[in-house]
Amino acid sequence: MLGFILRRLLIAIPTILMISVFVFSLQKLLPGDPVLAMAGEERDPATIAFLRQKYHLNDPVPVQYVHWVLNAARGDLGISLRTNQPVLQLIEEKLPVTIQLAIMAMIVALVIGLPAGVLSAYRRNTWVDWLSNAVALSGLSIPNFWLGIMLILLVSVRLGWLPASGYVSPWVDPWRSIETMLMPAFVLGTGLAASLMRHTRSAMLGVLKSDYVRTARAKGLSERTVLIKHALRNALVPVVTVTTLLFGELLGGAVLTEQIFTIPGFGKLVVDAVFTRDYAVVQGIVLCTGVAFIAMNLLADIAYRLLNPRMRDQ
Amino acid sequence: MSQPLLEVQDLAIRIRGTGRNLVDGVSFGVMPGETLCIVGESGCGKSLTALALMGLLASPPLEIAGGKALFQGQDLLGLTRAQFSRLRGDRLAMIFQEPMSALNPALRIGEQIAESVRRHRGASHRAARARALEMLEKVRIPAPETRLDEFPHQLSGGMRQRAMIAMALANDPALIVADEPTTALDVTIQAQILDLMRRLRDEAGTALIMITHDLGVVAEMADKVAVMYAGRVVETGTMAQVFGDPQHPYTIGLMSSMPAFGAGAGRLVTIPGMVPPISAMPPGCRFASRCPFRLPRCEAPPPLVQAGDHQAACWRAPLDALEVTA
Repeated sequence: MLGFILRRLLIAIPTILMISVFVFSLQKLLPGDPVLAMAGEERDPATIAFLRQKYHLNDPVPVQYVHWVLNAARGDLGISLRTNQPVLQLIEEKLPVTIQLAIMAMIVALVIGLPAGVLSAYRRNTWVDWLSNAVALSGLSIPNFWLGIMLILLVSVRLGWLPASGYVSPWVDPWRSIETMLMPAFVLGTGLAASLMRHTRSAMLGVLKSDYVRTARAKGLSERTVLIKHALRNALVPVVTVTTLLFGELLGGAVLTEQIFTIPGFGKLVVDAVFTRDYAVVQGIVLCTGVAFIAMNLLADIAYRLLNPRMRDQ
Repeated sequence: MSQPLLEVQDLAIRIRGTGRNLVDGVSFGVMPGETLCIVGESGCGKSLTALALMGLLASPPLEIAGGKALFQGQDLLGLTRAQFSRLRGDRLAMIFQEPMSALNPALRIGEQIAESVRRHRGASHRAARARALEMLEKVRIPAPETRLDEFPHQLSGGMRQRAMIAMALANDPALIVADEPTTALDVTIQAQILDLMRRLRDEAGTALIMITHDLGVVAEMADKVAVMYAGRVVETGTMAQVFGDPQHPYTIGLMSSMPAFGAGAGRLVTIPGMVPPISAMPPGCRFASRCPFRLPRCEAPPPLVQAGDHQAACWRAPLDALEVTA
């Protein structure tokens, strides 16, 4: 297993390099000139020339790329053109917020999606199945911003149970931190629960027809044991794939939800950076998200091996 | 005479909402320690019969349309799901055809045997594991201690079927239903598995219902035989009776279509025609359309009657009478 993880980490290196080339060239292809944005209204030629010099923008593109990669490898992702803060520092500030939101949203999604998927497959074509499908479909179709606003109106304004917005670090006040994140996590989680439920349902439908589930029943095991130990375990492989992909997406930031609940996460950072042509920040974030996706894929592969012993020997 | 262990009377199975029965009026009995082989071609309802006895029919769409199956005095067909799950794997066990797909790919062999022991005997994890090891030794799997912690894909086909048998026998059942247990295996392995099943059956005095299409298997294993055609039992008796003096034209056809070796071996005899689809099943004898000895009376369903020393469902039976009149 350790050897497998090391091998996968080695394979990840060229992937990350490819992402870096992509991120870097995308930057060069985008319209707009950051130097002009920085130089202000006057566009003084001397200032522009000075800025170009300062950021190595007169060097050939490949040289610029090598500069950038070497710096990035040392953890220097450049300085935000807008706030003059190091990009790494900005990411370090926002990333924990986004990770916390992603984890809580994923927990909500799993707690709702998995049991709903299992039950609707087990009781297919009954009211349980129809109800879960109806709930799943509404989870998918209700826009996050609408659900978020409605929740704030009901839970915060009307009932006064949870704070409507803001963010508290879990290191400062863990309980308060969970409280502030509960509604945004629920808003994000219900949307994801719907896809998890649909995937769990279809995987379970296949597994429940299998011979080994019949064998488990022939052994006289309880329906609970048959469902969870024999069926769900085998149905989890495709569900794990979806879960890790969805989690990777969550790490990219949930722009609308963060906006509604005024959470200082990744999503807001991305939007601000794109609109102000804060190239260094955009590059840093895209690179970071790419690495997160690679990490998620590695996690998924490890999970496959734990769930499916046939893959361990390969 | 002692009481039969299992007595099936007029079992009928149909697809919910349809009139014609896939399995119709099937009756047979199994004495303690006895082996009954149910023989017939694919689709004759022999596997459905086995699954119905185990309470494992895919329902819906299938459902029991009538009949009784008294097992140790208890009607299996009237059991609730909870009652059935206490019986299955304990006094009543099943061996399936495909040992690869019938074993859970994600669970270790030892655990798949032990969980049934824990469930029915309330054994501790340690005791159940010891029993699993004992069973693997009994079915003569090489290196049983290592196999306990292996997964199905690490075993050969023959070993998987041995593990399946170990699983079925773990709680010393009174009756085992084996659905084509050797069909998916190589011929040499088939012989070993049959040998093993015969030995274990004789040691434990377990009764066995063996579902098969292979008359060679029947000759190896059976005390009694029930021949099924298109959902009905067409002939039944001891193996010697049915093989020595077949009374139903279908049984005769089945036996002459067995390949033979040596000087006398010529072209294989086949039974002409096909089993009619369930939607077009004739109300009378279901074999009539393929039968070379058809009579006008075959328009009506033939009852299972005494024919010689055993029973057959044919208007011509007993055949001696046929020769006299012809």
